[in-house]
Amino acid sequence: MNFKIRPAIKEDCKEISRMIMELAVYENMPDQVKITHEELERDGFCESPFFECLVAEVPEEHKSKEGFTVVGYALYFYTYSTWKGPSIFLEDLYVMPEFRGNGIGKGLLCKVAEVGKKKQCVRLQLSVLDWNTPSRDFYAAKGAQDLTVSEGWHAIRFDGQSLDNLANEAAKI
Amino acid sequence: MDFSIRAANVEDCKDIARMIVELAEYEKMTEHVKITQRDLEQDGFSKNPFFHGIVAEVPEQLRTKDGHTKIGYALYFYSYSSWAGRAVYMEDLYVMPEFRGKGIGKALMSKVAQLGLAAGCNQLNFTVLDWNQSSRDFYMSQGCSDITTSMGYHCMRCEGEALQHLAQP
Repeated sequence: MNFKIRPAIKEDCKEISRMIMELAVYENMPDQVKITHEELERDGFCESPFFECLVAEVPEEHKSKEGFTVVGYALYFYTYSTWKGPSIFLEDLYVMPEFRGNGIGKGLLCKVAEVGKKKQCVRLQLSVLDWNTPSRDFYAAKGAQDLTVSEGWHAIRFDGQSLDNLANEAAKI
Repeated sequence: MDFSIRAANVEDCKDIARMIVELAEYEKMTEHVKITQRDLEQDGFSKNPFFHGIVAEVPEQLRTKDGHTKIGYALYFYSYSSWAGRAVYMEDLYVMPEFRGKGIGKALMSKVAQLGLAAGCNQLNFTVLDWNQSSRDFYMSQGCSDITTSMGYHCMRCEGEALQHLAQP
């Protein structure tokens, strides 16, 4: 299938927002999506963006049944390993179901790795849900290690009330 | 105990590099540390820094037997959740063993949370090793969630040859 991968522009944010919701539905967590295309526009296209994004586009003649030509995306940001240096975190990788099996997901992943290489990033990291076998197999086939299984790393989060409470403690220092 | 928390500056990189190695030793992964003081200076204090740091300092009279007054640090950077928006990731949190149990670790982590909220962040994320019970207990006591246990998230990494291979055009 004919497709191209390019950096997202501000005008793509409505499509990216649509696909973020589709990915959340796939991951059984649609109620967790709190941001809209407006936050994406503000946070991804400002002076010091919080993330970068690549989109996969197909020509008009291959558009989806609803008429979309932007059919996949990869959203990532730069991180730092105090052991190894600059790294990339792949926050989302998604291809619409009817466009899977055509190398678009792999194309997006490779393009992110290429961007990282140009910035001297030494690692590409991401997280995947334990029940998501097709994705786990996809990443394992590309040489990714599962650090939760092999080294025992657990992802920890503070948000909402727990984050507010923690931040309030700082005022007491 | 009398201590202060402040933003790290480029002169702190020598002590931060020292403590990074101490933390790696504690995590039984010293051989993984490739970063030097110079790397920290370049990566953290250039025009577009990859990270930010805060340090915990004690007064001269409480310095360690080796003469250190910088006895803890937290290193963090801004990240993004496609569901929740702006987030902050705490890469390292460390306090030298002889200064633990005094609220310094909590103060460092709280400061990261406060800075994150001020920047409009909705999450503070980090990782911990499953065998590191004292750290896990500390974090849980502060009210966080272990999303590997509760939601099934696994941390994945591509590096070295596998990453080189992916990055080929």
